[in-house]
Formats: sequence, structure tokens, C-alpha cells
Amino acid sequence: MRWLTLALVFFLAANAHAASIQARLIRASNESIETDAQLKDLTPTLEKKFGYKHYQQLGSQKASLGNDTSRRLDLGEGFVVFVRERATDKKTHDLEVEWTSGRASLLKTTLKIAEKSSVFIKGPGVGNDWIVLALTVLE
Amino acid sequence: MSAHKPELMSALLDGELKGLRRLLALRHARQCPLCAAEYRNLRHVRKILKANPAPVAMSDSPEFFWSKVKREIESRSDVQVELPSPKLAILDWLMQHQAAVVTATAALIVGVAALWALQTRKPASVVASHQEESPVQVLIVQTSSELRLKPVGAVAEPLAKVEKVSTAIPNTVATALDSADADVTVIWVSGLPWTPDITQMKTEYANLDT
Repeated sequence: MRWLTLALVFFLAANAHAASIQARLIRASNESIETDAQLKDLTPTLEKKFGYKHYQQLGSQKASLGNDTSRRLDLGEGFVVFVRERATDKKTHDLEVEWTSGRASLLKTTLKIAEKSSVFIKGPGVGNDWIVLALTVLE
Repeated sequence: MSAHKPELMSALLDGELKGLRRLLALRHARQCPLCAAEYRNLRHVRKILKANPAPVAMSDSPEFFWSKVKREIESRSDVQVELPSPKLAILDWLMQHQAAVVTATAALIVGVAALWALQTRKPASVVASHQEESPVQVLIVQTSSELRLKPVGAVAEPLAKVEKVSTAIPNTVATALDSADADVTVIWVSGLPWTPDITQMKTEYANLDT
């Protein structure tokens, strides 16, 4: 019976985890910038959604979710993302996201997102390129 | 179990206690010297009685006695007798059926793990809605993906669902769009100031006012 209890404890411990969020600032371009290897997991989706040929990661930050506290993710180029987890249900996270630059709030959103999923926010245009923010909830 | 209960020792010796009561009585017998002595005495008495059974004197011959028993059995053959069914304590039952308990628990673990694996792998459609909070512009987009079904027939779970989206930048609109083919949600912010390069974007956006 003892080994069974241990197995149960290990099983429950393996499932008790804290999810985290990764925010990535991406430049989408048709000019010959090098395709970023860091974005290989997102590139097929980015190509499908935005149609550009090349994607470059300008900045990336991760933060753990939970505790109902706001996490600050500095992505460079003056862009900051604040994320607060309002609630979590199984593998779905209820998030409050604010994308800011300087004193300006570019976007505020509340969304429910499943783990291992991404949401893309198409931001400002720079020359012929676009700035895209990708938010991914990691396990 | 702090009080001395000699009858408990007797019941323990007779095997009348089961499960937790038996464990508690045994523990008490180990800890309480008086009850331990009572237990030893009773065991000693039982040992003596077992070694020296009382001689049985029969008034009848064995054949005559059996004929009386047989007659009695025949006379009572119509009487319904309710046989007592033994009742086991949960702990005793679990001890007796260890293999079944282990199998059931293993099956439960496998089932939960399979459910968990299925949940994390569930493909889904995305529903997106948008409600502009800012007084500048309001746009509401409600897609029809809520009604979309997976090819296998099950209702698709959205991977991301935008509940509310807004922007405070003047002349700017934020719209949440679901994706029918890529299983991703995109929030499209239109009307943000355009800049010719990254350096100018940094400067302009740092001084942007809402």
C-alpha cells in the first residue's frame, strides 16, 4: 500500500505546476532580414496570418502566472506588456493584458487562453514592416 | 481508549474485534500494563482450558443421540433460518482485497492521465469578440465559430477567446478576429501612428499620449 501512496503523491506532484507566459516582440518584414531561429515555433502561423516572408524577434520575456499579481514584461524598443492572471480553470488562463509604450496604453484586453496556445496582436507599422506582439502561455 | 476495559481484552482474544477497533485495542494492550496483564491472564486461562477439556458424559448412546438430533432436524425442516452474513470492516476488506485495490487505483491513475493527455491535446476553434471601451470608437465583432464543429463531430473548444479589447489611442481601433484555419486568435490594432523606422518609432511611441 505504501508504494501506491507514493505513486499517487508523485502523480499529483507532477500535475501541480505553475504556468508561465512568454511575450515576444516581432518585426514582420518582406525585406531580406534573417529569419529568426527563435521564432521557428511561430513562423508557420505568422506566415499564414500576416503574409510576410521574414520574422525577426526584437525582444522576449517570460513570467510565471498566478497569485493575481501583475507581471511586467519589458520587450525592448520602449514596449512593455503587463499581464495579470485573473483566474485559472484547469489548463485555461483568464488573463488581463495591457500593451504600453511610454505613458501610452496601446491596447487593453481580457482573454481566456489555453496552455500552449498563442495570441497575436498586430501593432504599429514601421516602414513597410509590421510590429507584432505574440503572447504564448507555456506549461 | 484510555479507560481499562477488560471485556475488550476478552473480545480481542476471541477475535470479535475487527478493523480499527482491533487495532486500537491492540495498541491499548501494548501501552496499558493493567490491560496487558488482563490479556496475558485470559490467554493463559484459555490455554489451560484448551489443554484440559472437560470430560463429556453422555446420558444416551451415540446412536440414540444422533437419532434424536435427526428427528429434531426433520421437524424443523420447514422453518426458515436466516443465516448471518459476516460483516467486514473497511480496513479488513481492503487488506483482503489488496490486489483489487491496487488494480482499481492503477486503472484510476491511467484514466486520469489519459483524460489529462486528451485535454492538453484538444484541437479547437477560436471564438473572438471585441468590445471597444474607449469613447473614441466602438466596434463589436462576434464570429460564428462558436457553432463550428470538429470533423469528428465533437464540439471544438476555443484555444483562446478574447472577451474584451480596447485601445485608448485616438483614431485607433482594436479588433479581435478568430482564425478559421490556424487555430490562433489575432487582435488587429488599426490606426496606430506609422513611423519610417524603428528609431523614430521608439521616439514617437515614447511620447505618445492617450
